[in-house]
Amino acid sequence: MEIFDFIGTKFADFLTYTGFANAELGNWIMILVGAFFLWLAIKKDFEPLLLIPIGLGIILGNIPFKSVGLEIGLYEDHSVLNIFYQGVKTGWYPPLVFLGIGAMTDFSALIANPKLLLVGASAQFGIFGAYMIALALGFEPAQAAGIAIIGGADGPTAIFLSSKLAPNLMGAIAVCAYSYMALVPVLQPPLMRLLTTKKERLIRMKPTREVSQTEKIIFPIVGLLMTTFIVPSGLPLLGMLFFGNLLKESTKTTRLAKTAGNALNDIIVMLLGLTVGCSTQASEFLTLDTIKIFALGAFAFIIATASGVLFVKFFNLFLPAHKKINPLIGNAGVSAVPMAARISHNIGLEYDSKNYLLMHAMGPNVAGVIGSAVAAGVLLGFLS
Amino acid sequence: MIRKRFLGLLVALTAVVFSFGQGAYSFKFNEIVVSNTNGLVDEYGDRSAWIEIANTAWGTNNIRSCYLTTNRAAMDESLSVPERIKLMSLIPKGDERTNVGAQQRIVFFADGRTNMGTVHTNFILKPGEENFIALFDGNGHSLIDSITVPPMAENQSYARVYDSKTEDYVWVVLNADEVTAGGPNVGQGKVQDKIEEFKEKDPHGFAMSIMAMCIVFGCLASLYIFFRIFGAIVVYVSKLAQTGGVRFVTKQVDKAAVMAKQGMETQGVDMKVYMAVIAMALHEYDEDVHDVESNVLTFNNEEHTEWNAKGHTMREWPELFF
Repeated sequence: MEIFDFIGTKFADFLTYTGFANAELGNWIMILVGAFFLWLAIKKDFEPLLLIPIGLGIILGNIPFKSVGLEIGLYEDHSVLNIFYQGVKTGWYPPLVFLGIGAMTDFSALIANPKLLLVGASAQFGIFGAYMIALALGFEPAQAAGIAIIGGADGPTAIFLSSKLAPNLMGAIAVCAYSYMALVPVLQPPLMRLLTTKKERLIRMKPTREVSQTEKIIFPIVGLLMTTFIVPSGLPLLGMLFFGNLLKESTKTTRLAKTAGNALNDIIVMLLGLTVGCSTQASEFLTLDTIKIFALGAFAFIIATASGVLFVKFFNLFLPAHKKINPLIGNAGVSAVPMAARISHNIGLEYDSKNYLLMHAMGPNVAGVIGSAVAAGVLLGFLS
Repeated sequence: MIRKRFLGLLVALTAVVFSFGQGAYSFKFNEIVVSNTNGLVDEYGDRSAWIEIANTAWGTNNIRSCYLTTNRAAMDESLSVPERIKLMSLIPKGDERTNVGAQQRIVFFADGRTNMGTVHTNFILKPGEENFIALFDGNGHSLIDSITVPPMAENQSYARVYDSKTEDYVWVVLNADEVTAGGPNVGQGKVQDKIEEFKEKDPHGFAMSIMAMCIVFGCLASLYIFFRIFGAIVVYVSKLAQTGGVRFVTKQVDKAAVMAKQGMETQGVDMKVYMAVIAMALHEYDEDVHDVESNVLTFNNEEHTEWNAKGHTMREWPELFF
């Protein structure tokens, strides 16, 4: 009999450890959110490379367990997930992602038509518009800056800055940034149509000139010097971005560029997505602040897209007829590469089947990457 | 050989440059209490004069093996290093407390009792008098920091504080209630001050937005200006080179015709072969793979090519080793 009592006690004890016994409503809600992300990624093909790790991470982070020092949870010291999470928490995953981005990015469109840099800069107004709204909603300046960076449409930058300025909101900010990046094809087109006339959408831009290899090599070096001398606080992101690009363009380190752009980037994106997803534990994530952050993120994207498009229209007032820019590429100033540029291209084709805007839109798109990293550096410099 | 020497020199230079930024030189005296009757107690519950040293770097540094002294004679460079070290108090190795985190502080008790542990010095400070204190690097002769503490009342401290007017650190005497043993002194929590300043003076974020957008635009506009000018130069130079190239090629075609004619007359080679060679050279020049000299077409008159070289198809004559 004693053995059966023992088995019964232990079995009952075991049941208290199961997820079913420890689950709260919040866990189930978050698991559904994770499943929704997976559905978006797999069924709707919305940024699967980001949303699958994040979606599964959300589920993983919300599997309830009894916290008895088993070192399994993300927030428990020495757990495997905690070790992976250090890259997010201390902010060294984002610069490595930037290394990969640099190694994959071709800045030719920007070098050939450098005035598109200004379009990329104008779209960063989304960040500061959201900053003002966040302050009005009662967030502290550092938190407001962490949230506002969502407007840069750059996941790694958002994680980098929020890990420094608003670590308690980082999970929500990261998920929000990536969600809206995935939703760029839904968010941007109506706004672009609303802010442009049919005549403007039909503007054909001159094909860009061919860019020499020397220019491509000089770009990351000069870019690094000019941006980091002005904003040294952006060094981790900008330094790695231009380093990656130099690996690619120097033509002497193709092997390193391939590793940075493929294997290394894939590894970091996997770990980053998974741990960011995990960090959204219901107790931390299901708060009023998260709802505010998602609302602010949407505002930030809208402001960024609108300011990019409107800036091009304004810029066109000063340009001769043959050099006018199609305002449909203004949305690409947000640094969701290359989705935003692809949207410019697709909408351009809707109105003129021979108006190929992709290469033109890549200019502000990659400028947006630089711009959002600079903006993050500025906020970090002012508020840390 | 020259290249290796150059690389060696570069590595050595880099090592020298980086050694200046390392470790102990980030330590600065931060706060000193000479007469401690009502303040900080050591691990034995005793009160004595204490010296707080701050790691001003943004990385962890270890203060072990450095030396503290109150003896001005230790500054005398005519003394040998062992003689100078005799006048100093060694900060021992092997204690984790000497590993001072970024922007953190360590407190030493100037009680003349080094047998009591790592954070005790072999000297004492004299209450009511001027006290000179110096911190030396582990080599025993490089001075890291020094301070002369003026005579102070009981429990007062001499502290390094941030002066927002001059935007620099200054030394002031603090009253007993302002003493912060092991903690930041007045004005050293600048991060919080910065945020408070923004909260107070820019509650709606207009100033931040204007400043930040100006900086972002400034950054990208400077890149725009550079690449606008650089691009224009590149386009101009390439046009120039192209024009030069065409002129050159035209001349070369004339030359090629003469060469072909001469070759045919003197060598009896088919003109088609000459034309093929010249066409190949022009093609290579055009494709930028002509690697001998720019703007010059080079023809190497070889007896054979890799395709027909019989030497490549032959085996080496066997050698006898016995």
